[in-house]
Amino acid sequence: MSSKRALIMHASDNVATAVEEIQTGEDVAVPAGGAVLTLRAIEPIPFGFKIALQDLPRGEIIRKYGETIGKASAPIAKGALVHIHNLEGTRARGDLERGSER
Amino acid sequence: MSFLGYVRPDGSAGTRNYVLVIPQGIIAKSICDFVAGTKTILTVDHGSGRTANDREQIARVLIGLGKNPNVASVLVHAASPGVGYPELRAERLADEIAASGKRVEVLDPAKDGGTYGAIVRGLQLARNMVYEASKARRVEVGDEQLCVGVKCGYSDTTSGIAGNPAVGYLYDRIVAAGGTALFGETTEIIGAEQALARRAVSPAVAETILGAVTIQEERAKATGLDIRTVNPVPSNIKGGISSLEEKSLGAIHKAGTAPIEGVLRYAERPTRNGLYFVDNWMGHLSIFAGYVAAGANVVMFQLGGGGVAGRTLLEGSPSVVAPFLWCTANPKTYAAAQDSIDFYSGTVIEGSETPEEAGERLYRTVIETASGTLARSETLSYTEPIDMYLQEPRF
Repeated sequence: MSSKRALIMHASDNVATAVEEIQTGEDVAVPAGGAVLTLRAIEPIPFGFKIALQDLPRGEIIRKYGETIGKASAPIAKGALVHIHNLEGTRARGDLERGSER
Repeated sequence: MSFLGYVRPDGSAGTRNYVLVIPQGIIAKSICDFVAGTKTILTVDHGSGRTANDREQIARVLIGLGKNPNVASVLVHAASPGVGYPELRAERLADEIAASGKRVEVLDPAKDGGTYGAIVRGLQLARNMVYEASKARRVEVGDEQLCVGVKCGYSDTTSGIAGNPAVGYLYDRIVAAGGTALFGETTEIIGAEQALARRAVSPAVAETILGAVTIQEERAKATGLDIRTVNPVPSNIKGGISSLEEKSLGAIHKAGTAPIEGVLRYAERPTRNGLYFVDNWMGHLSIFAGYVAAGANVVMFQLGGGGVAGRTLLEGSPSVVAPFLWCTANPKTYAAAQDSIDFYSGTVIEGSETPEEAGERLYRTVIETASGTLARSETLSYTEPIDMYLQEPRF
């Protein structure tokens, strides 16, 4: 079976964006420079959503476009969906200003 | 390359040829309902009870729309609630627009026999002005006459990886040809401001970009809210965007790679050509009128749409006198609303085009639109109200 496609935007990214609907257990191919990274999705990754390219411990900086898009708010396993349940933005966080940092 | 435009007395070139009637109100609306080829602005922002800064901002919008090269001539009436303030006097608006060399007429109920009299005189004048405007012919002008403005909205991850990069290519091409390109949305550069500041033509411009972000981020923090309860908006999150930073980093792709010449306020006209960051707010009923008042003669909305189901018709006339293009890279958005969409770059995701090839196609679309082909939105007579970007309290 052919693998599904996800894209990175920069060589230093640790997440890739699915450009097809990906189901649990499917192989995912991520073009990276001349090479192709392959990994297995451990849960469904909808079109346009992000998949972790490596294990990301809680607090790890998450990178897309070669820049910081937030940090892991929970441990994230390679092949898992990365979204608001396990990634939190760090900018303009008025809630954290009031000392409610978790 | 070049397009076919209407050359104005100040040397600028329009992509359309309207007679504009301002400010808002029954005189303007009556004239526009009665006379073909006219445009007015629909808004509640008339200036009464507003601070001097906000009144000047309103004046900048009205004067800027009047000076826009897509306008052949202008009728200004003196019957708006804000007209008593010095910034918004009809004569002041008229004089500043007339400095561009175009014909400007003033209607004043106090001198023209009351509101009814002003309407009748306005109808007669407008008919004559539209007739005179029709004598203008499109001629070939260079791309340096293009001034474009963009916003991305209902953003999803297709916006950052395929939609905005195509716009970015267009922006680079227009700036390289000596034209002008405007982008903005200050909240949506939070997290991407360093990348933009590195592209500023001078340290002073870099500092202005960073300063605009600091002010906006402090405002956001002062609310005590997690910004994600406001922005990214729900449709962004449904479309796969997880944080404001991710949204911002995707959003800035629409600004291409050219040096940033300066930072403009809402509706402020650039003094020279090039790429500008506009310190404005993302709302589409606000941002486009600001770009057009700054001189934009074509504007575009780069739509994600992944988080919005069932949207089969895209309305839109938030740009008053400039053609308004709908662009998307989301295959579902395109399939749902094909007859509303001017440009599709989902081809980049599907692998059938590179971002550069898609951008080149967008460039040709812009040239055709600038030369007279209608934007799909121009086939609707629906008019949207303008929400001017005013930031001070009302009293």
